[in-house]
Amino acid sequence: MEFMPEFRTARPTTVAEAVAIRAAEPGSRFLAGGTDLIPNIRRGIVAPPTVIDLAGIAEMRAIESLDGGLRIGAAVTLAELANHERVRTAYVGLKQAAGGIAASTHRQVGTVGGNLCLDTRCVFYNQSEWWRRANDYCLKSKGDVCYVAPKGSHCFAAFSGDLAPAFMVLGAEVEIASKSGVRIVPLTEIYQDDGIDYLLLKPDEMIAAVRVPAPSDGFRTGYAKSHVRSAIDFPLAGVAVGLRREDEAITDLRVALTGTNSMPLAVEGTEGLTGGPPNEAMLQGLDALIAKQIQPMNSTFSPPGYRRRVVAKLTRSLILNLYRDG
Amino acid sequence: MSAPPEAPPRPSAIGAHVPLIDGIEKVTGRADYTADLDHHDALVGRIFRSPHSHARIIKLDVEKALALPGVIAIVTGNDCDVPFGVLPIAQNEYPMARDKVRYRGEPVAAVAAMDEAAAEAALGLIEMEVEELPAYYEPAKARAPGAVDLHDDRPGNLERDVHHEFGDVEAGFEAAEIVREEVFNCGEVTQVQMEPNASLASYDPERDRMILHTCTQVPYYVHLHVAQCLGMDTSRVRVIKPHVGGGFGHRSETLNFEIITCILARAARGKVRMKLSREETFLTHRGRPSTRIKVKIGMTKDGRMTACACETTQAGGAYGGYGIVTILYSGALLNAIYDIPAVKFDGYRVYTNTPPCGAMRGHGTVNVRYAFESLLDLMADELGLDPFEIRRHNLLEAPIETINGLMIESYGLPECLDWVEQASGWAHRRSNLPKGKGLGLACSHYVSGAAKPVHWTGEPHAVVNLKLDFDGGVTVLTGAADIGQGSDTVLAQLVGEVLKLDLDRVSVIANDSRITPKDNGSYSSRVTFMVGNAAIEAAEKLKGVLSAAAGRKLDAKADDIECLGEIYRVRGGQGPGLSFKEVVAEAVAHEGTITVKGTFTVPRSHQGGRYRGAGVGPSMAYSYAAVAAQVDVDADTGLVTVEKVWVAHDCGYALNRLACEGQIQGAVWMGLGQALSEEIRYFNGLPLAPNMLDYRVPTIVESPHIEVELIESIDPNGPFGAKEASEGALAAVIPAVANAVADAIGLRLHETPITPDRVITAMVRSAREARRDQPGIGDAA
Repeated sequence: MEFMPEFRTARPTTVAEAVAIRAAEPGSRFLAGGTDLIPNIRRGIVAPPTVIDLAGIAEMRAIESLDGGLRIGAAVTLAELANHERVRTAYVGLKQAAGGIAASTHRQVGTVGGNLCLDTRCVFYNQSEWWRRANDYCLKSKGDVCYVAPKGSHCFAAFSGDLAPAFMVLGAEVEIASKSGVRIVPLTEIYQDDGIDYLLLKPDEMIAAVRVPAPSDGFRTGYAKSHVRSAIDFPLAGVAVGLRREDEAITDLRVALTGTNSMPLAVEGTEGLTGGPPNEAMLQGLDALIAKQIQPMNSTFSPPGYRRRVVAKLTRSLILNLYRDG
Repeated sequence: MSAPPEAPPRPSAIGAHVPLIDGIEKVTGRADYTADLDHHDALVGRIFRSPHSHARIIKLDVEKALALPGVIAIVTGNDCDVPFGVLPIAQNEYPMARDKVRYRGEPVAAVAAMDEAAAEAALGLIEMEVEELPAYYEPAKARAPGAVDLHDDRPGNLERDVHHEFGDVEAGFEAAEIVREEVFNCGEVTQVQMEPNASLASYDPERDRMILHTCTQVPYYVHLHVAQCLGMDTSRVRVIKPHVGGGFGHRSETLNFEIITCILARAARGKVRMKLSREETFLTHRGRPSTRIKVKIGMTKDGRMTACACETTQAGGAYGGYGIVTILYSGALLNAIYDIPAVKFDGYRVYTNTPPCGAMRGHGTVNVRYAFESLLDLMADELGLDPFEIRRHNLLEAPIETINGLMIESYGLPECLDWVEQASGWAHRRSNLPKGKGLGLACSHYVSGAAKPVHWTGEPHAVVNLKLDFDGGVTVLTGAADIGQGSDTVLAQLVGEVLKLDLDRVSVIANDSRITPKDNGSYSSRVTFMVGNAAIEAAEKLKGVLSAAAGRKLDAKADDIECLGEIYRVRGGQGPGLSFKEVVAEAVAHEGTITVKGTFTVPRSHQGGRYRGAGVGPSMAYSYAAVAAQVDVDADTGLVTVEKVWVAHDCGYALNRLACEGQIQGAVWMGLGQALSEEIRYFNGLPLAPNMLDYRVPTIVESPHIEVELIESIDPNGPFGAKEASEGALAAVIPAVANAVADAIGLRLHETPITPDRVITAMVRSAREARRDQPGIGDAA
């Protein structure tokens, strides 16, 4: 295994304490399951002097009912989320997304907050210090060039979390804690399409919980992703769909994607496709919306053309399945 | 007068499902691998690796690093000017680069420090100044006119070209009614054995002695090369192999880090522990080279092959290693599976600026077999022949000497085909599978030990010592390296079987060069066959000693003594006989502790022909396999799911059915990885996936149900008729999957791995071509 540098570990027991330490110690990092952070530390990508272990904060580890919906602590593990009774029955897409992340061992420790904040990924970035140094580093870390798009000055590392799109189609909000208190914002508003600064959280802010609204009648959700192996792999592209069918018509349609951009992408314009059945014209309209909004690049082994195609195909079949079952 | 006492019923030590004798240690975690050994007093060793693909070293400055507190020693290419390499004729690798670096990741220097932090910091302070040279990652570029040579003595970057022709190839193609030629490409793959590399070297400066613990398949070669590179007499070096977590050929040659650890230990005058990361293990590589195969087959309309021509080019990486053997195997084992009257092979092993490739499971044969079996399927389809039928039309009849001088004395391929056809329901299922599903078949074979050792000394090919002392325990002393494949177990079984003793009475001591006899190592599936035969001979000798002792006590001739394991008695006699303990007591009283030796040597008749390169391919016995795979291809994602695999493997007599089945399942998994998801790709010579996330070894989730059938063609020369049981099936898995994919989607990809994006690309291209060929149809789609 690669060398693990020394760091101090802080073990706060409240959210307030955690964000206070974060504010007081520049460069410190929050640690939940560690499945993302620890490999990055070993690879020399980040070298936090202090790691703030969130495991001891009970308030972040609970799933509670809230206004008919759920409040999910950010330190809830992926396995706990996937196995939660209400999630399994009322939020199927969320269950599918959580239950399909990496492998079962990762899901035992990986958390909701960790997956939402997952660092963007790229074959030129997720490498050891030796490798990146031999390659003169890259734009995302210490370097000047993006090997994915060498002429530009933009980083195209891909956001690869599975939960974000599943939460987005549910209209989830996040509780963001900082020294100045807690603010609540729609999940869609914490991301931007930039492989380096993909999160719009301030340095001392932390996602404390996710709020999912009460399930509305007839609104069905699902999640599907493309991968080479059915375990361990990050999604090459993933799609969450939420739809409501009334008689023959789709009356509500939400689509969110992962793996295609540097942020999870809530596809815009889907409301214009509602009002009828998912016929070929409607699906082609959706294809066009997706094609216009996504920007997969050569940041993974699977070429962008493949990911473009597969995400459209997965979206179509997911919609048709949900429509048929609804 | 009472009837002679009956021997208690005793299950045979062979032929059953016997758990591995070290299984408990491994399953409970008690087994010590190299990294687990006591290292409280060891320095931390780390390797400084080249960031350059191809460059002349101008200056290497380690002064700053050496000045760092906690740094005890730093060694560089200056510390060893003796090259090493597994083939005595192709030793061109230095433990640490000297004048030039030839691949990114090549060791250049090494640090021994008090702790990891100091070692890590020291690596960052080593300064290397170079003059960059053009680098080549593909054979075509390395071979292009004007390319700079990686090695001065290999102009044109050609490590070895092979041109073999057996039979009248021209006449064969003329006699053919159909001739087809196709090109196939196989991506580079590597072993990803579970245990990353590690060595622990302990140097005694007062006595100038070295003890090396290391995770190798070939302790003897490591011993030789450590002594050679350090300029030490071999008697001053002791090599011990602890438990090893897999090899698959990665460890079938001495690896640079093993020698470096010893050089460091000597420089530091103490003990150094070197533990490579997974990335470094990928950088050490020695896997299967990327290969381009152009294969041409001629046959009659009823599917009888008349000739084959094959051109194979391998990107071998930066150093010789096993390269010459790999390219020779690719040609030699075009033969010995089917009856082909004429075979031509042109092979090119090319140096490239990438980590050296090596002897990965199925050494040299796998990629060629994929191409061959794929073309066979294509031609069967064109001729309207069933894949089973076309193969049956070309079977050999043993015993036979092939056109290239290989002796085949047992040949269970027909039975393998029969079982797979039956078990897979081929006849009624293949044409009735739902859309997107397909069935594919392929065959393969492999040697049971290379008849000519790469390091030729004239010694026996295998030696086993047995020790029996006052305590009544039989100790097998062997240099054969158990790397997880179960060689310790099979030797215990063979000794137990000859002496009719339970395995409880037999212990195995393996791989301590001070104690155990030399063995060439675990490669080319040689251990069961060669060391097994030596173990049988040793056990027979021991039985002779014990029978003589019993005879003395029972007043009978040794020849008249019947050995029942725990009882020795006069054959046909009436007395109770003697207990094993009584016999041992008599034997030891007579001559003291008993040590016997068994050896095995492949006779000259089986060592191959007399042409250049004839030494690679000959074996005393060949294993055979037939594999059928059923796949599902998702039209949306291109994802190939292998739903079921049927594999019949002719392993001769199955000495340990459990171990054989396990090895064959493992071969299927490894084959599936190469077929579908594993590939080393380089970006300017940097491997893009030097980790187990991006280098996609199939997980248990991808594992289909695997039905294994052991076909037992009893080989006349094998230990109790046994042959190889681990490598042979692998090569068939890849074309079986490829043929199944072709059956499922009506399209053939000419490339491995068959990844989802390649499937989609092929499907899209095919649809586009179909539209172009038939204007008006499908335009709207």
